[in-house]
Amino acid sequence: MRTLNEQSHYEVLEVARDATLEEIERAYRIAREAYGSGSLALYSVFGDSDATVIRDRVEEAYHVLSDAERRRAYETSRTLEAGDSVECDQEASPSEFDSGGPSTRQVEELSLLGKAFIDFAADVEEEAGDFDGAKLRRARMRRGIELDEIAEVTKVSTTNLRHLEEENFDDLPATVYVRGFVTAYSKTIGLDPRKVVTGYLARVERVRADQGRPRFLGRR
Amino acid sequence: MTRDDRTAVGARILSLGGGKGGVGKTFITANLAVALARAGYRVVAVDADLEGANLHTCLGVPTPLVSLADFVAQREDDLGKLLIDSGEPNLQIIAGTHANLAEAQPSHLRRVRLMRSLRQLPADFVLLDLGAGIHASVLDYFLVGDEGLLVLQPEPTSVENAYSFLRAAFYRRLRLAMVGHGVRKLVTQAMDQRNERGIRTPHDLLREVEALDPLEGRRFVETMRAFRPRIVINGVRTAEDVKLGFAVSSVCRKYFGIEGDYLGYVNHDDAVRRSVVARKPVLDFQAGSDAAIYLQRIAHKLAGLPVGSVSADRAGGERRP
Repeated sequence: MRTLNEQSHYEVLEVARDATLEEIERAYRIAREAYGSGSLALYSVFGDSDATVIRDRVEEAYHVLSDAERRRAYETSRTLEAGDSVECDQEASPSEFDSGGPSTRQVEELSLLGKAFIDFAADVEEEAGDFDGAKLRRARMRRGIELDEIAEVTKVSTTNLRHLEEENFDDLPATVYVRGFVTAYSKTIGLDPRKVVTGYLARVERVRADQGRPRFLGRR
Repeated sequence: MTRDDRTAVGARILSLGGGKGGVGKTFITANLAVALARAGYRVVAVDADLEGANLHTCLGVPTPLVSLADFVAQREDDLGKLLIDSGEPNLQIIAGTHANLAEAQPSHLRRVRLMRSLRQLPADFVLLDLGAGIHASVLDYFLVGDEGLLVLQPEPTSVENAYSFLRAAFYRRLRLAMVGHGVRKLVTQAMDQRNERGIRTPHDLLREVEALDPLEGRRFVETMRAFRPRIVINGVRTAEDVKLGFAVSSVCRKYFGIEGDYLGYVNHDDAVRRSVVARKPVLDFQAGSDAAIYLQRIAHKLAGLPVGSVSADRAGGERRP
């Protein structure tokens, strides 16, 4: 157990030493929010000055590890500091940073936090059945993404995004538009649209057909 | 581990605590118990909150006449005789009703005996629903668990109490693990947050312990490694609330030096409130609700079952082959 000052950049961000850039980005986002001012998770444990110290360390760690050149230099300096210690036997090359398969991953170094995030993201996709509105919402929540964040990226209004989740098919426009919305939504939260769109649209079509009434303004 | 193996080594104990009252410990205990029972495990849910017993109510069991209070008051020595059928196959409960409120907490010796007896119950899982606060008995129930589930809500009051609870449980575990009198005294001092030695965090305490006795220092670190609370956020409304679990997990690491595993969350759902009013598990009341699905997922994670086996359609009626 080391104090923050003694921790490596990997420990500060709670990532494995051979973490991919994507994992580093994700860990950085989590840490930035966790230690941001006003973060609920800090309440009664870390004061403002403690949080500032952690924030600075997080920023420094991200600055180094998110850049291949800086990361390589950091690794070299660690190697020199450690001399011929065992820890450096598993030195990862830059290419390994991006593509370490299970056999080369130092899984034991991956924090529970990282594991939980990966588990959470995988959970909903592994649920049985097609994607419906509730399953989309669960997938979004699991990834910790708000509707307005999706709206900002996709330019689809939060109202329409909410209609997708709540399956207010009457309030959604024609199917061709819904297809676009669902595709954009899925991509933004990191789902493969091919696994989502067909099932969701079949649902829309089924419900609209069941209602069987003519639609004003050609919503069908 | 198969069900038969588990019987050989005793029941696996899951303790649900969180420091604050009203965060949903009982509701979650009841529903996880049902989910595990439906996954084919033999489950006993124990209401260890003798001052505010209502686990039986969440499961729709009429107020039982025998309860854990009989064990605490030494009217009954055999926990097995306090088991009550819940109406759900595979699930029995030990209620917490009819406690002597003047003396609801068991003596230390009685507690030790209780904890030994819990493991011998005829079950694969024993779920302990703990009361609020940080009384020594509550902490001991939390620490006896093979898994300690820390339940909190995304509110400052709940987060604050959850950390107090974690801090108290953590120091209690440390004090029990330390052998030397001097080191134990040091841990006791550190439990006072305004201690004169200026020990603010577990890191500070470790430094002092190491300086006093390196061997105890190693024991300290081993104890920390073995202390792995599992975080459950209840009453989640936004994605921001979901992420609180990751943040708390990170704080556990950076402040306490322990791994807090984010086990899962349960959303704020009207179905939950209505299920409690109806005195039914939400898994029955509204099997397809998000809350039912999230609870089932947590249960499957605890049991090591594949997450793919969770589905909205089967939340209410799944059976393990």
